[in-house]
Amino acid sequence: MRKNLIDVVFVPLFLLLVVFPVAALLLNLDGKGIERTLADEMFWRSVVNTIFAALAAALLCTVLAAGFGYYHLFKQHSIVYKVANLLNDLPIALPHTVAGLALLLAFGRKNFGFIGETGLAFTLTAVVLAMFFVSYPLAARAIASGVDRMEREVVDVARTLGDTPAQAYFKVVLPVMGEALFSGFVLAFSRSLSEFAAVVMFGGNLPGSTQVLASYVFTKVEEGELEMAVTASAFCIMLSLLIVALLGLRRLKWRHA
Amino acid sequence: MLEISGVCKCYGQHEVLRDVSLTIGQEIRVIIGLNGSGKSTLLKIIAGILAADAGQVVLNGRDVSALPPEERRVGYVPQHPALFSHLIVRENVRYGLRGGRGSDELVQKVVKMLDLEDVLERKPEELSGGYKSRTSLARALAPQPQVMLLDEPLSDIDVAIKEKLLPEFREVLKFLKVPVLYVTHDPWEAEQIGDSFSVMVDGCIRDIASAEEAFAFIRKNRIEVA
Ligand SMILES: Nc1ncnc2c1ncn2[C@@H]1O[C@H](COP(=O)(O)OP(=O)(O)OP(=O)(O)O)[C@@H](O)[C@H]1O
Ligand SMILES: [Mg+2]
Repeated sequence: MRKNLIDVVFVPLFLLLVVFPVAALLLNLDGKGIERTLADEMFWRSVVNTIFAALAAALLCTVLAAGFGYYHLFKQHSIVYKVANLLNDLPIALPHTVAGLALLLAFGRKNFGFIGETGLAFTLTAVVLAMFFVSYPLAARAIASGVDRMEREVVDVARTLGDTPAQAYFKVVLPVMGEALFSGFVLAFSRSLSEFAAVVMFGGNLPGSTQVLASYVFTKVEEGELEMAVTASAFCIMLSLLIVALLGLRRLKWRHA
Repeated sequence: MLEISGVCKCYGQHEVLRDVSLTIGQEIRVIIGLNGSGKSTLLKIIAGILAADAGQVVLNGRDVSALPPEERRVGYVPQHPALFSHLIVRENVRYGLRGGRGSDELVQKVVKMLDLEDVLERKPEELSGGYKSRTSLARALAPQPQVMLLDEPLSDIDVAIKEKLLPEFREVLKFLKVPVLYVTHDPWEAEQIGDSFSVMVDGCIRDIASAEEAFAFIRKNRIEVA
């Protein structure tokens, strides 16, 4: 069979640009690097920090996104909605160093000096806030698209049966938003796991306290510990695959429900 | 008593309702009209789901034009049953019971009349189309609304089942003794359920003697428009 242009162009480019880098990383794994990394307490602390901060950030994202969903459904003409909607698109084009700097200026020494010498900056809270800032738009969009897929009449009927918009949102919208809330949460969680720039700018890269996997890899490369960086990176790939699998599994469940 | 006067609604340049006025008492008034003639828009304005550009909706002497849907006490049955999928049938039917609206007695009566007793513990997804429609109607009736609005409630239902459902629907709607607006495309359905008839063409409404005449009127006007 004659191959078409898409096969001829797509397959080699995909192999070269996507598969090859991942393979290169995995092929550079070696026993000694794995051994040393797994024995490094700072590695495990960065794993715990990453997962903990990303979970907290994703939770915060989901809660705020649920609020955004309400505005998306009932208040599309309000100023709040228009601003919120605009800001949802902002972080996509924004260099995340800029996001980090913005957070530093907002929650740093100048405004939050009463908390500590650096304000909220360079604490685990800062890591969570940085992850939140860059991940929230994904969660907000997931909820908004869930709301869009919902039958509008369901809300209309709830209103005629005596619900205010807020009551209808809590009683008949959110209960059927399971899939949207879950994908919003997982998307925000994945985005949070991968964040580097904003986290380092605002949270810092203090081994054991604010260092996350992304910054651990960076530090190990800087220190010339390439094998350790490779091990930590492979760990990240495994974590990502796990999340993708989780997302697929839940989608399956909802489809059958 | 439902009195609608001078209701207008535009979407941009498009005039969907032009000075619609209609008064009905305790009767089932069928509204017949082509796709896009503005029937659903009118029902949504009466329910308070959409705001009119002009005009009044008066329910039992009370002007409800400025009230949100939750304060109007209308029963709304949309084309697709729009059941609350996370709640069982019983919870769907009882959803609107609150603050003195409806009573256990009325719920029991409606459930019995619509033959829902055996499915009360089921989730909506387990119901057939006919039972979904019944549940949707029961849910709207249970809080004892002051007017009932039905927007092609049986258009998704097979004719054979419709034949059985229409007398049931008529009986339970009559039982409530409130004005009923019932939108349909189907001449036979219109004759079965209606006490009186209105025809809607291009956002204008007028009373008409029978369903047959309504369809004749539409045919004539469609030809003039075309
Ligand atoms: N949100 C909207 N924005 C713009 N135009 C709308 C909107 N909703 C309805 N319309 C238009 O208003 C007109 C009347 O719509 P409506 O749904 O009231 O008609 P209908 O008589 O119920 O038709 P059908 O028999 O198909 O249900 C249609 O031409 C429709 O395209
Ligand atoms: Mg319609």
